[in-house]
Amino acid sequence: MAGSRLFTIAQKEFFDHVKSRKFLLIFGILLVVAIVGMIGGIAEYNKSLDQYNRHQSATSSDIQGYMAEKPSILGVFSSVATYLVFVGGVLGIAMGFDLVSKEKESKSLKILLSHPVYRDEVINGKALGGIIALGCALGVVLFIALATLLVYGIVPDGNELVLMAVFGGVSFLLIFSYFAIALFMSTAMDESGSALIYTIIIFIVLSVLVPTLANDTVMETIVGSQPELPQELIDQMQAPVNSTGSEGVFMVRNSAGSSDAWKQFNGRMQAYWEKRQTVHDTLALFSPTMNYETITSSVTYKTASSAMAVGPGSGKVVSASFSIAEKQETCVENILGKILANIVALLLFPVVFFGLAYVRFMRLDVR
Amino acid sequence: MIQLEHLSKEYNGIRAVNDITAGIPGGEIFGLLGPNGSGKSTTILMLVGLIEPSAGRCLVNGLDVARDPIAVKQQIGYMPEDVGFYPTLSAMENLTYFGRLYGMDTRTCAKRTSELLSLVGLEGVIKEVSGYSKGMRQRLGLAKALLNDPSVIILDEPTANLDPQGVADYRRIIRGVAHEGKTVVVSSHILEEISKVSTSIGILSGGKLVAQGSWQDLAGNLSARSASHVTIHVETQDPIPEFSHQDLISIDYERDRHGAVITARSDLRDAVATHLAQNGVRLRELSREGLSLEETFLSYYQVAG
Repeated sequence: MAGSRLFTIAQKEFFDHVKSRKFLLIFGILLVVAIVGMIGGIAEYNKSLDQYNRHQSATSSDIQGYMAEKPSILGVFSSVATYLVFVGGVLGIAMGFDLVSKEKESKSLKILLSHPVYRDEVINGKALGGIIALGCALGVVLFIALATLLVYGIVPDGNELVLMAVFGGVSFLLIFSYFAIALFMSTAMDESGSALIYTIIIFIVLSVLVPTLANDTVMETIVGSQPELPQELIDQMQAPVNSTGSEGVFMVRNSAGSSDAWKQFNGRMQAYWEKRQTVHDTLALFSPTMNYETITSSVTYKTASSAMAVGPGSGKVVSASFSIAEKQETCVENILGKILANIVALLLFPVVFFGLAYVRFMRLDVR
Repeated sequence: MIQLEHLSKEYNGIRAVNDITAGIPGGEIFGLLGPNGSGKSTTILMLVGLIEPSAGRCLVNGLDVARDPIAVKQQIGYMPEDVGFYPTLSAMENLTYFGRLYGMDTRTCAKRTSELLSLVGLEGVIKEVSGYSKGMRQRLGLAKALLNDPSVIILDEPTANLDPQGVADYRRIIRGVAHEGKTVVVSSHILEEISKVSTSIGILSGGKLVAQGSWQDLAGNLSARSASHVTIHVETQDPIPEFSHQDLISIDYERDRHGAVITARSDLRDAVATHLAQNGVRLRELSREGLSLEETFLSYYQVAG
């Protein structure tokens, strides 16, 4: 009977969500940006694949860099993730901010609680209905993303399917995090307007303010400035072997890499980036958005595909995405191991805020 | 049946309900009377299980509301004063949802919902509740309160927004369910409404139950109380001079002082006539009237206050 009541409430909430205009509108936007992102990502993937094929056919053995690794299909999802991080957050907020406050405003909460239902069934049912609606929305988006891949003749292998599932899972956790925050504010506030405003403030803090602390200027204050490339190494550099964009990208040759100066520089650089990564990872734990970006970057191999780049003639390292990893870690277990802390942190957000919403709702004054 | 045993409720140190003990048998329509802020709604919320008492307990058909809320709510039908529904659902959809929360199967729920909507005059209304007038919501609230065929029906200000036809329908329905042996509690600050439907009443003032009994018992007390309060109307050709007396409760002069309404503990007509004659005031009219029902109940509240 208790399960039946919970299911009844969850079912009503689910249909309320999927029939609401705001849900349909944001879901529509989410679909559009996902498809646009996929198409852009596929174009990028095909370009990288051509580049990879050209590298494979080249016999020059003294070129080092990461482009030797075959591009992953998961790279296609990196642009989807860029859009999803914002639109998904908005969707989560839109679905949660008035779940309880609307009932307070319409006075239906008093009527609802006068029925033979426990309060925990009401709040759990509301959350469950929202979760199912979010899951369905995201499921449709991922299904369409997969279908788009297949339409373009790109067939993922088993590992890639697992990583796509991870991508879907963390995307769900991101949206659910903001849904849980909005649900909490909805129980804490008497009016939906106030709940929305406070949720947006939290959204801005977590998705804009906290990531701002990880930018170059703030990072330099915390971990110091980045080591400069010694003149000796610049002199050893050869002519560019490849160029992209107007500034050009220069690859360091093996001859430079074998020198002591290079080893020392590499050590300093590695220590610098490790320190910076630690600060970044610590900050990321406090922001679902940063967590999500860290996880999706790992899943879509974004960081591993970068190479050290220097500006022409300046002798300064200009790439902001220097990779600590010497080799790309394509193994699913390795990737999951790297992002486990972020996944746990991302999971903590909805758990904590749903817990707060639960406690607040159980103590709610329904006079 | 309902039993309230030393029921109290405090909000931030203020007693909204103070040690109420009462019993309401089955088949009774119990009118809970009291001015705004007297503790009617708080008492009802405790009875329905929406708030917990600070002390004492409520029993519905022998079940403690605080200890066994689900079983109690299964037997209660409740309509709050500010009745609210899901605005994007129709009346039928709202009632179906609530019916499912009572554990009713789809067929029973559909049948019961149709019957009740017909009973309250909302059959065939398919629009969303957001388009309902306050009166229509009130009617729907009554249908909702009867949805689970409850043995105890609790209605808070049930006629606040109803038109005369709606009020008549409501009275007919309430008398009908009481006739079936169900207990009905009707809370209101409108004395006339309570007097028309209830078979017994309780008067709340300042969180205390200051009077309780059958309509006849209380009416007897009211007559006795009416006899001890006298209202005198005075009209004169000349301005009325200041009047004072030990039995005087209040005196309201008209602006030009050619008239006054005197409320007193005894019949002061002789004293008033003497006072006017001594001051050379020509009298036009000096009459006495009994306290109205409202004034009599006000006196209950004043005594309690």
